[in-house]
Amino acid sequence: MADAIIQGIFSAAFLASILRVTTPILLPSLGALISDRAGVINIGLEGMMLGAAFTGVVVSAYSQTWFGPEIGQVIGPWLGLVAGVFVAVMMALLLGFFHLRLKANLILSGVAISFLGSAATVAIMFELTGDRGNTSTLASLQIPFIQLPEFINSIPVIGPFFFQVFDNQSAMTWVAFISVGLVWFLLYRTPFGMHLRASGENPTAAQSVGIPVQRTRFIALMLSGLFAGLGGIHMSMGYLSLFQRDMTAGRGFIALATPLLGGNNPVGTMAASMVFGFFDALSNRIGSLQIPSMLPLMIPNVATVLALVIYALQTRQSQRVKALRASASGDFNNAYWNILQRLSLLHVILAMLAIIGVIITICLFAAPNGFGGSEVAFPIGFIIAAASAVLIAINVPFLARVERISQHAWYSGAAAVVSLGIYVGLFLSLFNAPTVSFPLALLVGAVIWSALGGMRLNGMAHSKTA
Amino acid sequence: MKNASRSWGWLIIGLVAAVLVTGFISFRLFNGSVETMAAQADYGNIILVNVLVGISVALFIFQLKWGALRVALTVVGALLLGYIVTAFFNLDTAQRFVRGQFEVTVVSKAVPQKVDGVDLVYGDIADGEFNKSGVRTPLTEARYTFQGSQGDVISALAYAANRRSTVDLQIDLSDASGTVIASATTSTTEQRELFEDMRSDRDAVIQDFTLPANGVYTLDVRPEAVSLGTTLDETIQATNTAYDAFLLGALGRVNRWAVWIQDALTLILVGLAIALAFRANQFSLGAEGQLYLGALASGVVALAWGNMSPWLVVPIALLASITAGFVWGLIPGVLKAYLNANELVSTLMLNTIAIRFYDLVLTFQLKPPEAGYIATDSFSANAIFPPIVAETQVTVAVFIVIAAVIAVWLLLTRTPLGYEIRMVGANQKFADYGGVNTKRTIMLAMAVSGILAGLAGAHLSMGIYRQLLINISIGLAFEGVVVALLARNDPLVIPFTGFLYAYLRAGAQFMERDANVSFEVVRIIQAAIILLITAEALTAFFQQRRTRQKNLHIGTHAPESAKPAVERSANG
Repeated sequence: MADAIIQGIFSAAFLASILRVTTPILLPSLGALISDRAGVINIGLEGMMLGAAFTGVVVSAYSQTWFGPEIGQVIGPWLGLVAGVFVAVMMALLLGFFHLRLKANLILSGVAISFLGSAATVAIMFELTGDRGNTSTLASLQIPFIQLPEFINSIPVIGPFFFQVFDNQSAMTWVAFISVGLVWFLLYRTPFGMHLRASGENPTAAQSVGIPVQRTRFIALMLSGLFAGLGGIHMSMGYLSLFQRDMTAGRGFIALATPLLGGNNPVGTMAASMVFGFFDALSNRIGSLQIPSMLPLMIPNVATVLALVIYALQTRQSQRVKALRASASGDFNNAYWNILQRLSLLHVILAMLAIIGVIITICLFAAPNGFGGSEVAFPIGFIIAAASAVLIAINVPFLARVERISQHAWYSGAAAVVSLGIYVGLFLSLFNAPTVSFPLALLVGAVIWSALGGMRLNGMAHSKTA
Repeated sequence: MKNASRSWGWLIIGLVAAVLVTGFISFRLFNGSVETMAAQADYGNIILVNVLVGISVALFIFQLKWGALRVALTVVGALLLGYIVTAFFNLDTAQRFVRGQFEVTVVSKAVPQKVDGVDLVYGDIADGEFNKSGVRTPLTEARYTFQGSQGDVISALAYAANRRSTVDLQIDLSDASGTVIASATTSTTEQRELFEDMRSDRDAVIQDFTLPANGVYTLDVRPEAVSLGTTLDETIQATNTAYDAFLLGALGRVNRWAVWIQDALTLILVGLAIALAFRANQFSLGAEGQLYLGALASGVVALAWGNMSPWLVVPIALLASITAGFVWGLIPGVLKAYLNANELVSTLMLNTIAIRFYDLVLTFQLKPPEAGYIATDSFSANAIFPPIVAETQVTVAVFIVIAAVIAVWLLLTRTPLGYEIRMVGANQKFADYGGVNTKRTIMLAMAVSGILAGLAGAHLSMGIYRQLLINISIGLAFEGVVVALLARNDPLVIPFTGFLYAYLRAGAQFMERDANVSFEVVRIIQAAIILLITAEALTAFFQQRRTRQKNLHIGTHAPESAKPAVERSANG
């Protein structure tokens, strides 16, 4: 029974695919995080990923000729990994040299490194294979996939579920999630990590107490190159088994956004990456329906823009709370404002998700032929438009003035639960029948709302606002 | 007074350069003959465009003065780097001497002896192919046996099988015991006259050899090892050919020249768009998406109202593209100005969204259902920019671009908004204190930048392709970054850098076509240009190195305080 419910809410195959597609975002995101914390934003991640992905494929393919097929098959992937990461680190070094030594503009030289990665890989691929599109003619190898021991499958209730999610994942996926811990340790538990954070927060102060800021930043850039390289390797030797021109498809740029959204710490970055992984996996899932392929491909990018907006609104909100706290020093009710902030974030996310509906409507009206002709597309378009408008309308009042959440706590709660119910229900309908999905989703919505503190808010509402 | 005279000096240098450039382009284009020129349709307009290129050179020199020298040096440096890269890609040119089809034969006036187990009989021809590419175990050496009697006078020949094959052969004759008794690596002119199959001195011949005994003889044929000298020689020759196509290919014929000019017009518009955003210190790369939507908007108008008068449909299409660009530029502008959302990330994401949307509408709505590839019908003759040079895509867009350059220059230097943009770009906090509405300024700078990118999109759809097709621009916005950077975001310099960069791009196309060197070389050059042009401390770095070496020589170290102070880098 419990098994069935877990399966109903989260399809194990879907979770497994989230992990798979999160990996190539998470690894460069960790790189972006390290360089961000050192105060050197690394725009070249995309180019470094491409450089590593391409080098890995070429080296693993040629190692079979160099060492013979037997030995080559075994050491090839690892040789490719090392060579790819080396190339990425060298590119980071180049970026560091131009920015830190030659005082080149960091953003523009990062863009240049991205160009270089994209152009040089295609040029060399053209020379090696005569093809400008992909390296399908090279017999490249993959990083091994890790098989879990069989006994996990026999653990009752969660065993099979756990097994389905984590079995047969690329070694790089494990590396990525283990790296989150390593990066956390590096940043918060080592002297170097402290130097790194200090160099980012206040370089002049750090310099004055004897921290070698330049060298720290150099190393930070190289570490970010290392993670970008691992991400690139996963793209061409785990996710796929060949190199395609510009195969990273903007993941290096998405990775720049995730640390921002994850509150500039490793765990938050992982969470933000998994949100993107979720949308990526969702777009793959929707891709199997009768919908033009462009629509799902837009979703991760729309999600990034929306996430930027959510982050910005959230930052503004917490600044306001800080100001309030400063002015009302002793009288300030922390728990009350925490709940308020959480609920307002919920409303922001719910309103923003409706923007996706607006974009789908625009696509439906602009190209009805793609959705089965205008007789089908226009009614659906109107329905989605109306639903999105309603969802925005019921959530926006709580964005403009946060206090309204407490003044109309029940109304806010109803809005949140209904919106959540619609979104979660739509998502669950991908796996279950709608009659099961929507009631379940409303339940989930209510649980989330009260978990965020919605129930407690009512009692506190009027006691502490004056 | 002194300044004024110095300006006059630069103006004169600029004008001289302008005349030289115009003259050179026109001279190469018409092979220096007046008849060729007169035979060309619309030659007056060609000359006019060349004069415009010249004027752009004059403006470049006059605006940047010594800076122009630095830009020129950077471009030359990047081109040298490109030469090295091209040479690197051409390193395998000499490999053609070890690769190719060949034929082997033994001729003699003696009686042929047919014996089991031997490969050749006098007069037979055997053939094969050395080092065929894409084969798992390519043939590197071939061995043939034949039966000979004492006193037979034979000639053994190894030669390239056809004109395409350039394999450089070597032939060894050994007796039954395996000892080499004769060998050859070349052939003389007389020998080539004697044996008709042979074509060059790369073919090998052992002529009139008298066999010492009866028995089975063996012929070993293999490609001659390529010496390092030959490799370098061939590489340099191939690279020179490639660079010849790269640097002068665009001036070979009028249609190639037109490829250059039409590309330059797009790049100038995109460059202006980027420069405007950069002027406000916004690292917006949204031009790509705005360009796609501009192309889509103008294309939809051109397809829908193609039978209306061109005086009506072209302006409406332009207006549509401008609106689309404006709106798509406004979004990241608002996000940045009012929510402080990182414009780099948001524009890159919006680019992808716009391109996917363009693909969606094109594939499912605008493409005729029966069309085999994803493209619309060609626009009607009313709905395109009228060409000013017959049978090319050099159109009235030339004048639109001139207007755009002047408009952006006026906007930046002669209007309050332009002043505010420059203030915000120089120091946003200061501008804020000074009473500038920085949020509105940032938003408008990015939106107006979108207008120009939208225009570029209209030029692509109505000027160049005259239809909408998939991948109408691959990364033009990034090319625009180089154009804007080289021009130091000065709208009056952008025409020159646009022409220059488009010249390199066109050259790279012809290099790929003529010399089989990948087009991407020009993008590597592009990366080098960005790195070198933004490296402010480049000269200082080399000076510092020299001083340090001098100091090391003397035995002292540069004092710690001489190190440049650490600056907080641009973050977010």
